[in-house]
Amino acid sequence: MNIRIRIARFPVQGGKTFSEFQLVLEERMTVLDALFRVQREMDSSLGFRCACRVGMCGSCAVSINRIPRLACSTLVKSLDSATVTVEPLPNLPVIKDLAVSLAPFFELWKRALPAFRPRNKESQELARIPADTLFAQLAPGKRDCITCGACYSACTITRKSGRYLGPAAINRALLRLLDPRDAADSERLAVLDKEIEGVWRCHTQFNCTATCPRGINLTDSIVRIKRALLRRGRSFQA
Amino acid sequence: MTSPARVFLRKYRWRFSGMVAWVIQRVTGLLLLFYLFLHIHTVSKLAEGPEAFNQAMATFHSPLFKLLEIGLLGTVVLHAVNGIRITLIDLGIGVEKQRHLFWFLTVGIGILIFLAGAIPMFLFAVLKV
Repeated sequence: MNIRIRIARFPVQGGKTFSEFQLVLEERMTVLDALFRVQREMDSSLGFRCACRVGMCGSCAVSINRIPRLACSTLVKSLDSATVTVEPLPNLPVIKDLAVSLAPFFELWKRALPAFRPRNKESQELARIPADTLFAQLAPGKRDCITCGACYSACTITRKSGRYLGPAAINRALLRLLDPRDAADSERLAVLDKEIEGVWRCHTQFNCTATCPRGINLTDSIVRIKRALLRRGRSFQA
Repeated sequence: MTSPARVFLRKYRWRFSGMVAWVIQRVTGLLLLFYLFLHIHTVSKLAEGPEAFNQAMATFHSPLFKLLEIGLLGTVVLHAVNGIRITLIDLGIGVEKQRHLFWFLTVGIGILIFLAGAIPMFLFAVLKV
């Protein structure tokens, strides 16, 4: 069975066009396999990005049939569509064809203070995180972010406001806020509480959660921070 | 293999329930805002005297407006029940089950409340049985 694959192209002279190719659909063919087939056999000028090919690195995130997904983890057959449209992630500057620059994404990521800031830098003791703490309970479901940018490009708020931190950065901030070893709580909460950049811009549309290839409930992270900001003065973990 | 719209409805309506709910809340909100202005406009007829007000009210007693009233009931119910869903999510209740909340609370219970009001309205105000 043949499928038609439409790939967005961005010529040097500007504008956006689509190149169309016919491929023989194979049982276990992923969208990334299809892109490689096109590049090797039909159009060697096609540009896209990939690295691990097993859904761990997030570099092959593209918009497939208008939904941000990882090309390496998306079986063509699972799309149930005779035409597969592949475009670069929306809301990010295109470098070439399907490869986008994640610079705006990481600029906002940095603003959420993602790095660990220890309470005691000199401590040699191993931290003990009891299993009944919120951090121990939530971290396994929140820390798998591969910074692919799928949530960022699926979010309608980041599309409208380039200053909104975005779901991935806020989720990372939540992980740091929950961490009892981290010392930058108030600094982070101040950033998250900002009117344009912070969590209050989220409209609870769940698009980030729906598109996250790692299945992280990002909206839950945002809602948790909203509630924490409303009960300022009490411990974040209360 | 079928049309993209059908594929979306079949495959993705569950996945993007949150977005569907958000659109419903905005659309019903705008419709209610439109109704609010219409309501204020009608009530303001009182300032022109009882005849002007009675004339305006007579328009609303036509079967077409009774059907629109049933539509208004649907709009209010959807907006209210989805508002409860949003409040629950903001309180941290059912965030993991937001899709269930939408389809079973907003849509399911919303339809039941709507039918409970719409059937008598249709029978007694439109058909006048």
